[in-house]
Amino acid sequence: MLSIKNLHASVEDKEILKGINLEIKPGEVHAIMGPNGSGKSTLSQVLAGNEAFEVTSGEVTLNGENLLDQETEERARNGVFLAFQYPVEIPGVSNLQFLRTAVNAMRKHKGEEDMNAAEFMKLAKEVSKQVDLDPAFLKRGVNEGFSGGEKKRNEIMQALLLQPKLAILDETDSGLDIDALKVVSDGVNALRSEDRAILMVTHYQRLLNHIVPDYVHVLAGGRIIKSGGRELALELEEKGYGWLGIKDEASN
Amino acid sequence: MKSAPMLSSAFLHPAGQSLPQPLLALRKDRASALVDMPLPTRKTENWKYSSKYLKLADDMAISLPADGTVGSSLAVPGYKVVFLNGVMIPEASEYPDLDGILIQSFSDLDDEQGQALAEQLGRTLNHDQAQFARLNGARFEDGLLVRLKPGAVLDQPLFVIHETTADASGSAYPRILVEAGANSQMTLVEEYISQGESAAFTNTVTEFTLAEGANITNIRLNMEGENVQHIGATGVVQQRSSRFESHCVGFGGPLRRHDLQVRLEGEGAECKLNGVVVTQGKQHYDNHTCIEHIAAHCNSEETYRNIAADQSHAVFNGRIHIHQDAQQSNANMNNKNLLLSNGAEIDTKPELEIYADDVKCAHGATIGQLDETSLFYLVSRGIDRRQANVLLTMAFINELMQQIPVEAVRETAQTRLNEFFEQTFQEA
Ligand SMILES: Nc1ncnc2c1ncn2[C@@H]1O[C@H](COP(=O)(O)OP(=O)(O)OP(=O)(O)O)[C@@H](O)[C@H]1O
Ligand SMILES: [Mg+2]
Repeated sequence: MLSIKNLHASVEDKEILKGINLEIKPGEVHAIMGPNGSGKSTLSQVLAGNEAFEVTSGEVTLNGENLLDQETEERARNGVFLAFQYPVEIPGVSNLQFLRTAVNAMRKHKGEEDMNAAEFMKLAKEVSKQVDLDPAFLKRGVNEGFSGGEKKRNEIMQALLLQPKLAILDETDSGLDIDALKVVSDGVNALRSEDRAILMVTHYQRLLNHIVPDYVHVLAGGRIIKSGGRELALELEEKGYGWLGIKDEASN
Repeated sequence: MKSAPMLSSAFLHPAGQSLPQPLLALRKDRASALVDMPLPTRKTENWKYSSKYLKLADDMAISLPADGTVGSSLAVPGYKVVFLNGVMIPEASEYPDLDGILIQSFSDLDDEQGQALAEQLGRTLNHDQAQFARLNGARFEDGLLVRLKPGAVLDQPLFVIHETTADASGSAYPRILVEAGANSQMTLVEEYISQGESAAFTNTVTEFTLAEGANITNIRLNMEGENVQHIGATGVVQQRSSRFESHCVGFGGPLRRHDLQVRLEGEGAECKLNGVVVTQGKQHYDNHTCIEHIAAHCNSEETYRNIAADQSHAVFNGRIHIHQDAQQSNANMNNKNLLLSNGAEIDTKPELEIYADDVKCAHGATIGQLDETSLFYLVSRGIDRRQANVLLTMAFINELMQQIPVEAVRETAQTRLNEFFEQTFQEA
């Protein structure tokens, strides 16, 4: 499904990703762990098409199609979804309007009719229940004044509405209390399906108790330096990154 | 030294003589005072960004005819008065006889009423700041008088449609005076529109006097055509505990200027001034506002937003003047500006003059572009770039648009905004 080959990317002439290789098959859940500043969000943003990052070499395909020459919106329509580590607040655009515009953009791409306001409201209410977000949040500005946990639930809500082929979840578990973690994990598990791939960036093994990954990768210094099964996460938790001979990059 | 350009004497000759005698006399008086009216230049402080857009050719001095056909057949949810080139068209107007509320054209007044009116006209305005209100005083051919007796409440908005027929070059001088008695209430909607493609000039004056406890809402929608220059002034004088709310929505033109002056003369008076300006192409729009806190315990709240696309130019100048006796004044002014292209220009200037010591006064002005991060967030959900731009631009003015209390106006403005978006944000 997703194939990343020797991906290099820089920001402001500073190389952040230094040759990433990753293959994800449909139905699989991959977790990426790694110290602060190692490039996890950069990888996520590059996959979603953020032009602040420049891809200097490498290749990324989704279901055989070149992803890198697609605009962000095309990637989204072709099934790429990124749950942002820091969801953006957009006062003045209501959450409801935002979600409906997004859903209708996807429907248009698939040749389907627009969903009218009433139909969409019904759907949005259902999904907001699923992530335990009060429907009152639909009326507020996009993420405006949402708490950290509410923003993360709003991201999962979007994933559930947009039904992507590839869901990239950048620290969707951070800042969540135990109940919220359960809600968000249930949401992610609801997304799990045979024809969908999930790439989860996380710092915590505890998420992986709720969402059991097929593979765990360690990203450090812009490269994947170790890959394994879910037991790798347990080992990391126990021994720390020092065990792999790396230091927390933010702290050096 | 080159002498300053003067207003051509061609502009000092009104055509229509249908006003009552005292108003004709007033007009003549004002015209003779105008003989040496200098035109604003770059060096005229309150016109420095805008004087270059003002192009009053002699053939624009001619009064546009008042006997044309009304182009707009706007169905309005309320009462309607239609003016063509500044002259009321009774056949196109619809409003009932209401208890305690007088709605009348200047030319229908008798001499005695005309005399009373002559003493009122122009009283609310500082003509040194709104120089062109003088020209209107010398040229108006008709006007609308609305007088609310104490306690009178107009149950529906009164729409005043001012249409300029730019079928040939010429000018029009619409004028309105609203006298709101104690505790009276009304909503007045002014719509400025035009037909025809010739270069025309609309020069307006609208005045409000609010007696104690009066509550007036004024909506001003400027949607005149591409070749119409517009200079308008609105003067407001408020007595004790009165409330004035203004919503100005304007689209750019070759020259657009609006002066809004509010005098808070009675304790506890309150005004709220909202403004939205949208310019594109090579258009211009200049809003000058001035709030005078004269009495104590008054509140003013002002929020203006400019959006400038292409090579257009928007100007905002907001002055707050808190007089010595105006203790416990509360004044808030906020102006945000959105540049949609590198070629666009926005000039903003808050001016505070505070002579009282116990006041709360806040002001802020920003100029920015659409936020890239927000744009990325929207398109990462599959929303097309054009639509994302529209959403973010609307977000910039949504709050002000939603506060406009008449739905029909919101719709009219939105339709025009949608055209603006069509032209400004091209399909990728
Ligand atoms: N826009 C930017 N400009 C400059 N440097 C950037 C930018 N974005 C990221 N970086 C740098 O790139 C490196 C990788 O950042 P990234 O956000 O990908 O790390 P991360 O692995 O997601 O870290 P964390 O665990 O803290 O979220 C960091 O050194 C960061 O400072
Ligand atoms: Mg990160």
